[in-house]
Amino acid sequence: MRGGVRLGLVLTALGAVALLAPMRKSGLVLAGAMPSVSLNAAQAQPRQVEETTEKAVARDYAAAWQAMAEALDQNRTDLLAASFIGTANDKLRAGIEQQRKTGLHQRIVDKGHTAEIVFYSPEGSAMELHDTARLELQTMDGGKVLHSENATIHYVALLTAAENSWKVRVMEAVPEGQ
Amino acid sequence: MNSLLVERPFSSAPVERPFRVASLAILEEWVRMLRSKSSASPAGEYCDRMDPSLQARSADDSRCKPRSTWLAGTAAKIAMACAAFLFVVCCLGLYGFAGELNVPATVTAGSGLSIPTSGSGDATLYLVGPGTAIARKVQLGANVQLSGEELENAGRYVIALDGNSTTFFVTAAPVHSVAFLARPSRVPADTHNVISGTAFLFDRYQNLVLRPQPVKFELNENGQVVARTETSKDGVAYTKLDSSKKAGPAQFTAASGDASVRRVVQQVAADPCNIRMSVQRDPKGILARTDPIRDCSGNPVPDGTIVTFTATDAQGKSTVDARIKQGIAQAQLPASRDATISVASGVVVGNEIKWRSE
Repeated sequence: MRGGVRLGLVLTALGAVALLAPMRKSGLVLAGAMPSVSLNAAQAQPRQVEETTEKAVARDYAAAWQAMAEALDQNRTDLLAASFIGTANDKLRAGIEQQRKTGLHQRIVDKGHTAEIVFYSPEGSAMELHDTARLELQTMDGGKVLHSENATIHYVALLTAAENSWKVRVMEAVPEGQ
Repeated sequence: MNSLLVERPFSSAPVERPFRVASLAILEEWVRMLRSKSSASPAGEYCDRMDPSLQARSADDSRCKPRSTWLAGTAAKIAMACAAFLFVVCCLGLYGFAGELNVPATVTAGSGLSIPTSGSGDATLYLVGPGTAIARKVQLGANVQLSGEELENAGRYVIALDGNSTTFFVTAAPVHSVAFLARPSRVPADTHNVISGTAFLFDRYQNLVLRPQPVKFELNENGQVVARTETSKDGVAYTKLDSSKKAGPAQFTAASGDASVRRVVQQVAADPCNIRMSVQRDPKGILARTDPIRDCSGNPVPDGTIVTFTATDAQGKSTVDARIKQGIAQAQLPASRDATISVASGVVVGNEIKWRSE
């Protein structure tokens, strides 16, 4: 009899672990993973993008998305400065400050980006990316989900060369086909 | 729970439950009616459509009914079925669209928006977009107003009200300002495609204007104007221009609509075209001096440019770097009885003189 109870407990524990394991994995993805960015620079105009620049842009753009996702979820403006500058930084900060006041936050599960450099300025200080992002989005009021969706969203981003990285100066979601 | 997403809240909205129950009940009734019609109309029911040889036999069959009766009954049933069907459609329509937010797909930045709502009582309106996160009480049944200030930033917005939500885009307003990158600030004169200008177009809310716009680039040097108009693509227009033959400051302007930005590009003489020098004895040795140094367009090479004088004799080589001052460069070389003296600046080599002291 006692053995049966023990067996039952063990099975229950195993079941709980099996159920919770995927949740934990999901939490890890949300918290810290760098999103994948597939970057194509072949069509960049008027200047060709150097290979090292292309790699740096892909790395820094992915880091910007990671920072933005965490900042919008945790309502932390301090995460932005490393990746955003100018208008993009100002708008994100303003949004996060309003989110904090209203108790809202946004969760983004980033499923990857297919981006293309369409413009690289002749002197090499600015570039424009067109990005197709696959995202899971949730808009939340505290713990209450106001809106959730799986979406493919098109973004236009302007990046400028900073001291040792590329920073996002403008980032706008645009309607499809624009 | 591999996915972050939870189930849509719409399915649990209480307002939809009565519609669903009523719809399903009517649907079931409709199906039942259709079934009863088929079971009550077995083969041989309408006597007047049968083979005449079989009619006599069938006339005694209790299941056989006169055609007129059957037609009247069938018509009534069809009418009822149609009515029920229409009702179901209406209910499903209400089920699907009750309280749906009627928002345009795109709105111009800075334009207000009026959203009709249905129902009654208070509800919380949520608006989340770039630079915006609003939660406020609104009255259902009345139009919800979003001000221009709340929709200034271009991008994608989520609006949620009373358990319903949708998304829409805000797009940029007309061009209001130009961010202009002019490079380099100092260029050699008379050089092909050496000046580049890049213009980024923004509206009054600092949104990138993605619609194609004409952008006029103009390089003006003492009234001599070189202009070129480019059409912006995805918010950016760029051009490359030649520098003019004459050295001096040039006004480089980018303009779109009423917005205009000016930069100054300093055009300086290019490399010297040729260097000519003369030498003469002086008390300390040999004095080498150039003629005025100009580029191939006749512009004087800027003061401060380095000119190198070299004297080679039996003792070895002596080199003096001198800067151009007031258009010429000069240097004191050590006395020598027999030397070869040359002059150069950058990649340009001047004349060579054989010096022989008497």
